[in-house]
Amino acid sequence: MDRRNKRILQTTLIIVVVLGIIVSLYLYAGQRAFVSTIFSGLTLGSLFFLVAAGLTLIFGLMDVLNFAHGSMFMLGAYIGWQFYTNPTFIFGVAPLALAFGTGVMFISVLKPYLIAWNLTPRMQKLLPTIAYILAAVVIVFAVLGFDILGLANTAMVAMTTTTVGNPLAEISPQEPLAEFWIRPVLMMLGGLLIAFGSSKPGDKTQYAPKENLGKAMLLPAILLVVTVVSIFIRESAPVSVLLMNGNIRFLLSILVSVAFGFVFGAVIEIILIRPLYARPTFIILMTLGLSYVIRELVQFLWDPLTYQMARPPLFAMPGKAASIGEWLQNGNSTIDILGATVPTYRLFIIALGIVMFALVTLLMTKTRLGMIIRAGVQDPEMVEAMGINVKSVFTLVFALGVALATLGGIGAAPFLPVQPLMGDAYQTQGLITVVIGGMGSYVGAFVGAMILGMARAFGDYFALKLSLSPAIAEASTVIIMVIVLLTRPQGLFGSKE
Amino acid sequence: MSEVNHDDLLNVDNIHTFIGQFHILEGVSVRVKKGSITVMLGRNGAGKTTTLKSIIGLTPPREGKIIFDGMEIQGKRPYNIANLGIGYVPEHRAIFRQLSVLENLKLAERKKGDFERSSEFIFKLFPDLKRLYKLPGNHLSGGQQQMLAVARALVPENKLLLIDEPSEGLAPILIQQMMEAIETLSHTTTILLVEQNFIMASQLAKQYVIIDDGKSVSSGSIKDLVLQPEVIHRYLGASIKTRKELEMEHGSEE
Ligand SMILES: Nc1ncnc2c1ncn2[C@@H]1O[C@H](COP(=O)(O)OP(=O)(O)O)[C@@H](O)[C@H]1O
Ligand SMILES: [Mg+2]
Repeated sequence: MDRRNKRILQTTLIIVVVLGIIVSLYLYAGQRAFVSTIFSGLTLGSLFFLVAAGLTLIFGLMDVLNFAHGSMFMLGAYIGWQFYTNPTFIFGVAPLALAFGTGVMFISVLKPYLIAWNLTPRMQKLLPTIAYILAAVVIVFAVLGFDILGLANTAMVAMTTTTVGNPLAEISPQEPLAEFWIRPVLMMLGGLLIAFGSSKPGDKTQYAPKENLGKAMLLPAILLVVTVVSIFIRESAPVSVLLMNGNIRFLLSILVSVAFGFVFGAVIEIILIRPLYARPTFIILMTLGLSYVIRELVQFLWDPLTYQMARPPLFAMPGKAASIGEWLQNGNSTIDILGATVPTYRLFIIALGIVMFALVTLLMTKTRLGMIIRAGVQDPEMVEAMGINVKSVFTLVFALGVALATLGGIGAAPFLPVQPLMGDAYQTQGLITVVIGGMGSYVGAFVGAMILGMARAFGDYFALKLSLSPAIAEASTVIIMVIVLLTRPQGLFGSKE
Repeated sequence: MSEVNHDDLLNVDNIHTFIGQFHILEGVSVRVKKGSITVMLGRNGAGKTTTLKSIIGLTPPREGKIIFDGMEIQGKRPYNIANLGIGYVPEHRAIFRQLSVLENLKLAERKKGDFERSSEFIFKLFPDLKRLYKLPGNHLSGGQQQMLAVARALVPENKLLLIDEPSEGLAPILIQQMMEAIETLSHTTTILLVEQNFIMASQLAKQYVIIDDGKSVSSGSIKDLVLQPEVIHRYLGASIKTRKELEMEHGSEE
């Protein structure tokens, strides 16, 4: 009973303090500035949440602190922006990536047969090495001459002209299908070789039953179909996408970005993280390195430039809407809320954050996967001993976490300059959010993100008003983190362990 | 060395298990006859838990064979082994504390409907759980947590249960209840039980195996073991407690 009273007292105290802060800010700033700063805070908070949600789930379940999360956020922005502005590049690369993925996925079909081979230990070591080298050669051969850079350049030209001219005019003619088809075929061969090598032929200590071969065939078969389709629509699809309504195109960009994040996350987990679970420090170094690789890759593909994505039509028309109805009808760029002028696109980001929080909550509390994740946060070994394939759950959670980050990236793209370093601030703030909210708690990530968003927004407001250094806003988040760590080391919603 | 015996549901044949660079099991053999309770005895730190974990695959053995239901299972992933029909009840009541009682049980399903099928039996065995099914695991008492840990293994259809020290730290009255539950289970399932309480163990089990210092040193019928006080004394020594000692030890608890 005593403990309960103490908790009630604590909660009341917190509520009183929070209300006090809110009221004094309101009185100090006045209604207009207060409302518009609140909306800035919610916007930042939503973006922080999209980054922190993945970080915290991945850390909670697998003890992996992903330092490449900010880079993945940035990559999501690039992919979505590219698709929105000129999808030629993405439709051009997709068949190659899909073909490669299809090849790799055939591992589940090949493995049961390959591990049954009778090989000398020497051959067991030699064969994968040969396969990897061959794969590298084949892949280089498939890509070489493929005009990735050229396509990216077209994309850039298209971008600089989209705001004025017609992006359709900027689509460059592509390699005809009669010559192109050999590339995806080679990529698939490369993927198959990698699948061959990594299934460790002859290694009988592995377990891969032949019984569920039908099930194992399913994913590669679907991927194969998708690959073939992507080869055929490669030339026509960019045009039809660009002819679409801008809002729908934006929605598609979001889907493309999320799908990309999911697949990218899964691939990273399987290839780079999985071999390192026994060595946690290596994982940190690896993800740090990966963040640089991603950044360099982006600079290589898109040049170290800054792009500004055009806002979709729903948020583009100059002028202020008086009501939500008017905005939805005309697509105004700002809206009047309680006397304050709030950019409508911010409302979209806030909605995105809240909807994703609701979806993550549903996932975690109402589905079997959520149950497995919550159990796995405590004891993954026991989850596995109950008959659940924890490794595949790890992959799934990593993929979902990265998909949330890329969603944040494309969500932020019309709002932030798209450039190679745009994810860094979100990486830092995401980590601080996770610490404040408690490692592994998605509710903590949401509350922490909103607190940080508010701190940033009001920090900026005061810096401007009192002519202080803008660094005060950044410092405020660190100060909050220190206060939380001192009073509640496990974070606001963290469990004690 | 190991002649094929079709009565054996599980045959652990001379396994060696390493944890990191530590050689923990240095030759453990355990045979579990179908349809009965086999008890694993031994001092603290002898390697009993590690033997169970080697069977379920959490600490896979580096050498030796484990044959379950006529199939070699060493080296398989734990989830594959569990799905062959092995339920594992870990020591220290390792339930999922953030999950409710119901969620703990639901999580144990291997196919849809497992819980519906088994819930009546489980709640008859442990009526407490039915009353508490909405509570999160960390709100349960020690005894209730232990019951949940056992109940979890009863949700799917299992051919073999590995139960690690179910009476550890329980009040005598709860120990009695737990032992009765395990006795009931043994009518339908084969059980490999780790139990420090020798009196309880000898009442429940037909077969025994003694683990000492990472090796299996003695095995056979428990009736024979009772007649060999020097073996008991040598390998189990201080770990044997009479019921009286137990009651004194736990009398003040709960
Ligand atoms: N993770 C570990 N790292 C190192 N040694 C361990 C680990 N787990 C168990 N051991 C050692 O293995 C031996 C056997 O442990 P265990 O199987 O838990 O014994 P028991 O269950 O019979 O009490 C003990 O000496 C213990 O110290
Ligand atoms: Mg033990």
